[in-house]
Amino acid sequence: MLVLTAMFRAVEAIQCGWCRAQNQPGTTTCMTCGAPLDVRDKVSDSGWREAPRLRDMTEFRFSASTCQVEGELVPVAEIALSPQDGVYFEHHVLLWKDESVPLSSLPTAGGMKRSLGGMPHIVTVAQGPGRIAFSRDAPGELVVLPLHPGMELDVREHAFLLATHSIQYSFVRIKGLVNLLHGGNGMFMDRFVTAQYPGLLMLHGNGNVLERSLRPGEKILVEPGGFLYKDSTVTMQAVQLQLKTGMFGRHGMYLAEMTGPGRVGIQSMYVHHGSGE
Amino acid sequence: MNAYVCPYCRQPSDPSQQTCPLCGAPVDVREVVSDSGWIEQPPVRDMAKLQFGQSHCQIAGTTVPVAEFNLAHGEMVYFSHHVLLWADPATRLQSMSMRGGWKRMLAGLPMMMVEAHGPGHIALSDNHAGEVIALPLQHGHSMWVKEHRFLCATGNIRYDWNSNDVWYVTGDRDEQETHYPMGQYGDIFTATDRPGLLLLHAPGNAFIRDLRQGESLLVQPSSLIYHDLSVRVHLHLEYPRNRGFSFWRSNWDYRNIMVRLIGPGRVAVNSIFERPEGMEAIRNHSYATRRRW
Repeated sequence: MLVLTAMFRAVEAIQCGWCRAQNQPGTTTCMTCGAPLDVRDKVSDSGWREAPRLRDMTEFRFSASTCQVEGELVPVAEIALSPQDGVYFEHHVLLWKDESVPLSSLPTAGGMKRSLGGMPHIVTVAQGPGRIAFSRDAPGELVVLPLHPGMELDVREHAFLLATHSIQYSFVRIKGLVNLLHGGNGMFMDRFVTAQYPGLLMLHGNGNVLERSLRPGEKILVEPGGFLYKDSTVTMQAVQLQLKTGMFGRHGMYLAEMTGPGRVGIQSMYVHHGSGE
Repeated sequence: MNAYVCPYCRQPSDPSQQTCPLCGAPVDVREVVSDSGWIEQPPVRDMAKLQFGQSHCQIAGTTVPVAEFNLAHGEMVYFSHHVLLWADPATRLQSMSMRGGWKRMLAGLPMMMVEAHGPGHIALSDNHAGEVIALPLQHGHSMWVKEHRFLCATGNIRYDWNSNDVWYVTGDRDEQETHYPMGQYGDIFTATDRPGLLLLHAPGNAFIRDLRQGESLLVQPSSLIYHDLSVRVHLHLEYPRNRGFSFWRSNWDYRNIMVRLIGPGRVAVNSIFERPEGMEAIRNHSYATRRRW
């Protein structure tokens, strides 16, 4: 009987197509990532899937806290932190906060290297209880990535909005001179790792955000400025395409070759790394 | 017999579809027309598909839409290299030969166009929040497009560029500066041996208007997206009334620098634009009309 009840529950539960979390029957937004559950996934013919467009005022939970997303053009993530929860972020994405929310700094290893690489030297931590809100300064969308234990995600610098305190934060240096000089992704990528506890990571993608899962060995060429995030299992290598430009000789066009397995996320609005356009 | 003509791309289309298969505009919504006659270009629906030749293009996203191409064997599109978002390794990329590289470089135009040859997938996007506009061109049909609005075109569309001849000069004898409020050059696209597809990117919202013979409009020069070649364009300088400061009203930035568009033909504008630069007195200019209030 218990087995049958469990089976019926499994049938009735709605699985979120974005984060795979199970939701109560009848719910219209995922309680874990805020993705609408009553609209079809939007996947292009070549397999790129649009990140779910979060509805205005969508609310979802993490740990004992809640997050509400406000606005659709430059969305704001408003967090109601419970006393035992905290989030960390780059200080310039803080939009407003309750006076009572304490802020502290999270020292990062390799401070000098980070400063030289143009990354923030100090990451700020907000501890509950209280409310605090974040936004970046470009039209785009919030990408909500609940991380299960044992996951590693690499994120383009200056794209992360916030992460919960259960997620370990580090950074990886982009290796190889060609990748550094022509990769268009700066010197470092943020790396987010979950150990034994799950966590929530929120990114801001400029324009629209699309994700694709690469099979082992599958490759895709991406404009480096469009790269947003990837599983750490995906390798990234700058490759050069030689294009002739008549009397002006050859023009080297660099693209990031991503090789699976794993997910790759891209943003549709970016500054072209070669021309600045 | 198909009597339905898509109001946005002006081509015979299929009214039984949700979106026009040639330009992606929704078929099942009413035209939104302002009191003064501007028709709002409806955004291409997310995941709408456009057919051209044996290939197709799918538009993904709504804030900064991505144009994703599934190119058939023997078909190609060309584009400026900085709009490439991703490509299948199988897609063959090569540069397109262009004339006048030196002039283009001086005018700030992209010096290099890239051709993508099928079979394969490739995706392109601009870097402004706005809309993708699809213009299917029939054999022999040409279109003027403002510089930096071009996203890509199919291989059978010929690309040319001409001087806009809309300019003014500011500054004194030693430090004169020539301004081109519409850009120094305009892109001209012509469908040659068969119909083709031209994709543009408009920052902000886009509006279109069909001008009758002799009908004219004043618009901000940088707001133009495209117009039929039958539309004539010239500079227009307008000075508001400014009692007591007559020297000021004729010279300084109190003025409005616009262009006059004269029909017949279609014009399209976008809602994001920049005011023409240059606060100093205008010393010389291309053909222009003046109005002093």
